[in-house]
Amino acid sequence: MIIGAKDVCKLLGIVIISACAVFVSTLFLNYNLDLNGIEAQIADESRALYDALVMTGSVVSAVSGGCLLMTSVVMLCFYIKHYIDSHRKELGILKAMGYSNIRIAAGFWVFGLSVFAGTLAGFSGAYLIMPAFYSVQNESGLLPDFSAEFHPRLLILLVIAPTAAFALLSVIYSFFRMKTPVLDLLKGKPDSKSRDVAAKDNMPFLKELKKITLRGRRSLVFFIAFASFCYSAMVQMSFGMGDLASEMMSAMTFMIGVVLAFTTLFIAVTTVVRSNAGSVSIMKIFGYSGRECSSAILSGYRPAAAAGFVIGTLYQYLLLKIAVEVIFKDIENVPVFEFNVQALIIAAVSFAVVYEAVMLCYSRRIGKISVKEIMMEAE
Amino acid sequence: MIRAENIRKSYGTRDNRCEILKGISIDIEDGGFTVILGASGSGKSTLLNVLSGLERPDSGSIFYDGENIAELSDDSLTAFRRKNIGFIFQQYYLLPNLNVDRNVKMGAELAGNKDYADIINALGLSEKRRKLPRELSGGEQQRVSAARALAKKPSVLFLDEPTGALDEETGRSVLDYICRLRDELKFTVIMVTHNANIADMAKTVIKMNSGKIVGQYRNQTQKTAYEIGW
Repeated sequence: MIIGAKDVCKLLGIVIISACAVFVSTLFLNYNLDLNGIEAQIADESRALYDALVMTGSVVSAVSGGCLLMTSVVMLCFYIKHYIDSHRKELGILKAMGYSNIRIAAGFWVFGLSVFAGTLAGFSGAYLIMPAFYSVQNESGLLPDFSAEFHPRLLILLVIAPTAAFALLSVIYSFFRMKTPVLDLLKGKPDSKSRDVAAKDNMPFLKELKKITLRGRRSLVFFIAFASFCYSAMVQMSFGMGDLASEMMSAMTFMIGVVLAFTTLFIAVTTVVRSNAGSVSIMKIFGYSGRECSSAILSGYRPAAAAGFVIGTLYQYLLLKIAVEVIFKDIENVPVFEFNVQALIIAAVSFAVVYEAVMLCYSRRIGKISVKEIMMEAE
Repeated sequence: MIRAENIRKSYGTRDNRCEILKGISIDIEDGGFTVILGASGSGKSTLLNVLSGLERPDSGSIFYDGENIAELSDDSLTAFRRKNIGFIFQQYYLLPNLNVDRNVKMGAELAGNKDYADIINALGLSEKRRKLPRELSGGEQQRVSAARALAKKPSVLFLDEPTGALDEETGRSVLDYICRLRDELKFTVIMVTHNANIADMAKTVIKMNSGKIVGQYRNQTQKTAYEIGW
């Protein structure tokens, strides 16, 4: 066993994202299934509301569940790659001793446990909140009263199947990553696929370093953009929903957005700092200041965060617009939906403040990296 | 002149404390070639780290032209290293994602040196400028490390077992280039090694054992990198 509990604990990001995905999907899918069960009792005048609620449930589950599922897949692959990169020597020793790639890769199924923990937490959390959710969904009283039922197929679909799929994905992905030659693993050589990044010869060193740091860790650029996207979309959506949804839905959307955004942001920035600790240490040995190092390592992510924010703004606007104009088109008295400038300003300012505060904290952390870090790494 | 006075340095917690440097005092003349010779565990690398400002001593003073660097703040110590010090380590410590040119540029830019390509060429790396460290042999990586340190135009160059991981031919060529450049630019060289043969290249040899200086002598004649034994 080469993957310890400590390594699995580092998968907190996947736990949180899968918990959020399954929480939302369980609420809406369970509601849809129960709603299906009372379809025969729906009066004609409530049919439009019924159809709208069913479609809302399907769209929300597919969009949020699907989007978060894809993010979990990317994050899982990222973690496995990171794990293999930071344990190259140990894995190289195993390969040198004669363990086959598949035998080593089989041990990576443990990473699937993170998905199990997350999905189970999300599934359980959804059942806890379900009674309140059901009463809010039928606030108008147009539908007959019905209570939440437990559907075992949802447990299989949302907890057991994703766990098995992610465990399998972990094994397959790590199997392909383990194809690195044994000597490269033993010597701790970085991924042989990385290539020299072209840059202008007259570009200052720190600018070049910033560019290369970004190019070398594209997955982290994605995660930072994703964090910003989540915050922008979910926070603006929670404010923008206004009269379109209940306060409970707004609060839920807001909380999921904040948790997802900051978990992803913290994990991404922590990885950026950890993976560059050796380089920072070398630069400090030669006399680069902590400020110069942190600027080169951290400041390049701002455009990605800004892009994520813009995409999130457009995404939430289009999603609510479609919901109002397509899904709820046959429902009477649906409020007019307009772009909420106030929500945009609040989300932009609050995200900018928190993002810069996080970066400042991590700049200080970079400032504290010891010049001996690289010597300890080499040992 | 570099003067170290009664340097003490320990590691570990109270119960497990281990004193590495036990009251070391030395003088190192400007522009000279000094070798600190000692077996593994004698404290020579710790002394190099302390003398170069990578670490602070627990007690004692280190004067560079009258300025005690042991009293400097972290920022001032960084600025001091930036202005004065170059390093070559046994493990090279190159930035893994940067090619040869950029690794050397990292040192050169601190000194405003735009002609660092000359050093790359002189060390026989002109064909390797676009290669990443992992694409180079150990000897080539050490030459990049030397180029980076020299491109910084340091007034004091510290070398920690620079030939420890090199074959004889590469080791001699790296040492030869450093010595030739030192003769030309007159910077101070302080080298830590366990290889007694290399001590024949130095003007001053300081012998260390168990955290203390156990001997010091001057060579009447300094051998070249191609004259010493290996």
